[in-house]
Amino acid sequence: MDAIADTIFTDLPTTDELTENPSLLTVVFEMSPNSWHSIKDQISIQDAVKALIVFLNTHLSLNNSNQVAFLAALPTGARMLYPNVKKADDSQETPLVKAGMYRHFRLVDDTILREINRELQLLLATDSEAGAESSTLSGALLMALAYTNRMLHIDQSISTTTASAISSTTSAAASGSGNDHTLGSSLLQTKMSARILVVTANDSHESKYIAIMNSIFAAQKMQVPVDVVKLGALDSPYMQQAADATNGVYLHNREPRGLIQTLSTAYFVEPCLRSLIILPTSANVDYKASCFVTGKPVDIGYVCSVCLCILSTIPELSKCPVCKSKFDDSIVAKLRRGPVLVRKKRKIEGAENGSAAA
Amino acid sequence: MDSDEEFVDNGSGKELREHLLSPEPDGTSKRTRSKVAITSLKGANGGYSWEDEYQRPWEIVNNKAEGEQSLVYLVQQMIEARKKKILKNPTTPFQRGIIRTLIVIIDGSLTMLEKDLRPTRFGAMLNLLGEFVDEFFDQNPISQIGIVMMRNGVAQVVSEVSGLPEHHKDRIRGLKARQHGRIEPKGDPSLQNALELARSLLGSNFGDPSLGSSKNSKEILIIFGALFTSDPGDIHQTIGALAKEDIKVKIIGLSAQVAICQEIVAKTNFLSSSQTRSLGLSRHYGVIMNDAHFKELLMDCVEPLAVTKESPEAKVEDTQGVPVIKMGFPLKHSISSTTTNGLVNPNFPALCACHPTRGSKDLMEPVSVIQNQNPSQSPGATIGYVCPQCHSRVCQLPIVCPVCGIMLILSTHLARSYHHLVPLMEYIEVPVSAQYDSSHCYGCLLQFPNGSEDTLKGASSRYRCKKCSQDFCIDCDVFVHETLHNCPGCESIPR
Repeated sequence: MDAIADTIFTDLPTTDELTENPSLLTVVFEMSPNSWHSIKDQISIQDAVKALIVFLNTHLSLNNSNQVAFLAALPTGARMLYPNVKKADDSQETPLVKAGMYRHFRLVDDTILREINRELQLLLATDSEAGAESSTLSGALLMALAYTNRMLHIDQSISTTTASAISSTTSAAASGSGNDHTLGSSLLQTKMSARILVVTANDSHESKYIAIMNSIFAAQKMQVPVDVVKLGALDSPYMQQAADATNGVYLHNREPRGLIQTLSTAYFVEPCLRSLIILPTSANVDYKASCFVTGKPVDIGYVCSVCLCILSTIPELSKCPVCKSKFDDSIVAKLRRGPVLVRKKRKIEGAENGSAAA
Repeated sequence: MDSDEEFVDNGSGKELREHLLSPEPDGTSKRTRSKVAITSLKGANGGYSWEDEYQRPWEIVNNKAEGEQSLVYLVQQMIEARKKKILKNPTTPFQRGIIRTLIVIIDGSLTMLEKDLRPTRFGAMLNLLGEFVDEFFDQNPISQIGIVMMRNGVAQVVSEVSGLPEHHKDRIRGLKARQHGRIEPKGDPSLQNALELARSLLGSNFGDPSLGSSKNSKEILIIFGALFTSDPGDIHQTIGALAKEDIKVKIIGLSAQVAICQEIVAKTNFLSSSQTRSLGLSRHYGVIMNDAHFKELLMDCVEPLAVTKESPEAKVEDTQGVPVIKMGFPLKHSISSTTTNGLVNPNFPALCACHPTRGSKDLMEPVSVIQNQNPSQSPGATIGYVCPQCHSRVCQLPIVCPVCGIMLILSTHLARSYHHLVPLMEYIEVPVSAQYDSSHCYGCLLQFPNGSEDTLKGASSRYRCKKCSQDFCIDCDVFVHETLHNCPGCESIPR
């Protein structure tokens, strides 16, 4: 009996990281009105936020020192909604969530709901603004990484930098607002793990390719998995790459009504447990490059050696359309030339041989 | 310190001796007196002028201790000053040689057994080299490295030119393990032999001569521990040949500057005029001061070199234009997904075209089998890539397709290099004032210190992006410029 049990347990990979490390969950919620409008029959923003709040609360309840952060990528810019550093004036306002709730939940939920309402009202006020199409997801992602970086590395040695020296002296002033919960946690000495969850319904954020790629590489370096919930009609190739490169989970959810179900099954697994669990992964990630000029996917392309832009065809002027440097004529001529048939030569040889033989 | 000063005292001129002999009424210490004597040699910092670049933090504290300045505040400032020093990335965009072939020449001569670095110079060098290889391929995914060792008067190839970091690290590890056996540092170094070998290695360009020689930047990095070289012929001819082939040489000296090294660096980097010479020399030829400085110098070589105007290559380009490279972006082909019965079989082997002769000298095994090459990433080992031009399958990227000769890369490989070409603008420090617009770091929500009435003391601790005028803390500043390469504030502005 013991022997059987032994083999079962030794078959598992070593799980020394399975200690009770706190973990940081950063949610990046893309709130571009157009994309949510296009899927309004399936899910509303309210339902999605409800699901996310349940998800955040579950994360908080797992470990006492777990942390969450919530960012919104709005058409007006990326905002950090929780933790919030604005001066707390909401003590008089009526709470949006039940007062009897566990305090940590209440702080998080209340702040997030309040901030989302405020942002949506702002959005209404500044309606008809240009740039409703553009996405600030890259900015939110970069911000999330900057925050994660601080929580992972700097926070632990923060007693020597500006932060805690200042925050300890001004903590009296800052207390009372909800933010001292996270900002004052600099005494935390344990190792933290972190992950980022991106919830997006946007079908077009191709414009900020470099920023998204750079944030993917940064996340890879920091070993922060980027999980992606893609709602809406189309796959998002860049977010797919982000999840694939960082060992995150990418799911294209076409039936978002059961969002909380998806969140709590596929996305709830801590990064350190992921080696033990078979997760839904997309087998064929499209790493295909796209042409900088036409935007079409490229199989065989031409790359400018100065600015590394990818071109599907060599432009007529043999000049790089991005950096304006002129291409080498001889190389361009060589590339433009079609394949040369060698058979012709052989025929001549054969003819000569034949004539010689005759 | 003390012994040095005694030496100066004894050796200096008559005036100093008189000064020493004269009685001191106030009974100051000897240290203060000697300082008074050699004021002409003093730098701004109170030390000798050659010590100027080293700060003496304890003196700063002493001087200001009388004031109301708190020690904590000074420590903060020092940390920020240090981080500012670390953060010295260029902000002007250059044309850079992104596709690089770098030959690292390491010294395996007897001098490498010196113990001024721990455990020995050789051991320390190999340790750092492992880190260097990792960092190099992280920043330069479409580049290649080869390693050559100078030992016992000859040059030998440690690791042939290849784009696989694991391959090089294996060889370096092998070198470390066998250090006490055959590969122990021995004999004299020969710069000429090593440079000639490196030159011939650089000649074989990505294993494909048809790619032409003008597309990649050819570089040599020498880690040189000795102070001499014993060469079979005229090294100046070799230097001339290197310069002609536009191979750039960087040298890291482990003990002191050597004249021949200076010449190699100056000639191959085309530092002709005296002004560029001194500037370029300091950039391409460094002598280490300590362990940390060694690492710093080594990591400086990770950044791709800017294409210099002085080089004949650039002049030629002015007339001919820059090369354009045909590249293939292959499809990722996961073998486990192709199993028909729906079972996931991650260890299913497949054939690849890129390792026809691996592991066998006599070509007993014409086509090798992709197995779990490195157990650390077992799912990745069964992944193949299909060349879009000839549909042959290769097992790793980037590579020149062994069948049709097209260069195969992933778009991410190119994307990794973009930040070298489009560097992020530097943040500027916000001047000290009584009131600030921002109270928290835009990136990490760290609380900034409040403005103080006394504008002379302290720092604002805020670093502002010129484009989006958001304020960041020093940690975010470093993180954004070294890792993210994009400003979170600028990216948050809707376009």
